[in-house]
Amino acid sequence: MLVTVDISDMKVSKRSDDILVTYSLGSCVALSLYDPVVGVGGLIHCMLPLSKIDPVKARANPYMFTDTGVQALLQAVFDMGAKRENLVTKVAGGARLLDSNNLFRIGERNYTVLRKVLWKNNILITSEDVRGTIARTVYLYMDTGKTTIKSGGKEVEL
Amino acid sequence: MSLRDEILSKIGLIPAMPTVIVKIRKLLSNPDVNFKELAQTIKYDPGLTSNILRLANSAYFGFSRSVNSIQHAIVRLGMKRTYELAVAAAIAPMTQKAVKGYDLLPGKLWEHSVAVAIGAEQLASVLSLKAPDYTFTAGLLHDIGKIVLGTFVEVDAAPIMTLAFQKGVSFDQAEKQVLGINHAEVGAILLEKWNLPECIVDVDRWHHQPDMFQGDTLVLDLVHVADVLSMMGGLGIGKDGLNYHSSSEVASRLKLTAKITETVVCKIMSGMKELSSLFSSGIREGNRNSS
Repeated sequence: MLVTVDISDMKVSKRSDDILVTYSLGSCVALSLYDPVVGVGGLIHCMLPLSKIDPVKARANPYMFTDTGVQALLQAVFDMGAKRENLVTKVAGGARLLDSNNLFRIGERNYTVLRKVLWKNNILITSEDVRGTIARTVYLYMDTGKTTIKSGGKEVEL
Repeated sequence: MSLRDEILSKIGLIPAMPTVIVKIRKLLSNPDVNFKELAQTIKYDPGLTSNILRLANSAYFGFSRSVNSIQHAIVRLGMKRTYELAVAAAIAPMTQKAVKGYDLLPGKLWEHSVAVAIGAEQLASVLSLKAPDYTFTAGLLHDIGKIVLGTFVEVDAAPIMTLAFQKGVSFDQAEKQVLGINHAEVGAILLEKWNLPECIVDVDRWHHQPDMFQGDTLVLDLVHVADVLSMMGGLGIGKDGLNYHSSSEVASRLKLTAKITETVVCKIMSGMKELSSLFSSGIREGNRNSS
């Protein structure tokens, strides 16, 4: 089943026939986690780097923010039996405009915060497709853990 | 015939603004207009009436009790808002469709348009500036040129994509180089044809090049920044991605900070949620009494 992860949303699965997808990442970041041993995976689409910008909103929806969202996804896959040492970790998004000044660098800040949270959790990024000015769609195929990026009509494996 | 001329000739194929919108605008330009007359005009178009009521009942406009007649809606919303919602209701069916040339799925151009309309208003509010009356409408219409280039013309995007993503030319400039015109200018010409006020036409024409515009820039600045933030948020972006310039001049003129930009992104998301009735159940195609 195709499971859509909206903007500021997270989905986890252990069904091998699921495909998790999140569409049109701009400066947002997507994190895909997959444990091939137990077949558990999850995908999150975070919009803004730090939850302190709106703590009320962060309590209502922690997935909107990279700091609270990444932590929530890790917890969710661990709760479903995934093990830290098995995790295949893929990252996409964090795009920017052509000549963004600092004010408009939400993408870079999202990426920095994401790395920091993963680092604190002793998790290394397996592969990534970040920055640039393109919009990206991310798929996580739950049967194999294959993660792909679709942009401008082309789908490539991450 | 040059590509530019061919595109300009296609603008004639776009449906006209419904006559009712033109009538409403004429009514509102008269300072003595009364709301009964306005309500009578709208009621002739049942599609428009139901769309206005749906919008008027959304949480974004902040009413706790339901609005169930056009008279009631005008009293609650004011004439200015009623006009804005009428324009929104009129263009919605056009922007709900997929825009193939830009790789926009059905509903995505509408989502982007609404995000920018909300963003421009919310940015003004965060900055404690009074947004002029036409801010919402100007935001809503800023990318209308994409339906011409992406649907009616179905331009070959390949050479534009090469220029934009391999040569680092901004997407609007790449359109201009390949087609002789870009979506901002096409949009401005379409809005002129629809008899929209010059201030709204100007915002459309210059939204990717605000530094080039000579004139009162507040709404242009608000829409430019709201557009940048909506693109960053991934709200209704297509194959053009984020391949545009953002203006440092506008950022410093508005005294933006990172905190302000992120707060506005949050507010755009809240506003979209409050206006979700526009997305979930869809806007009805109105009675199109084309002029």
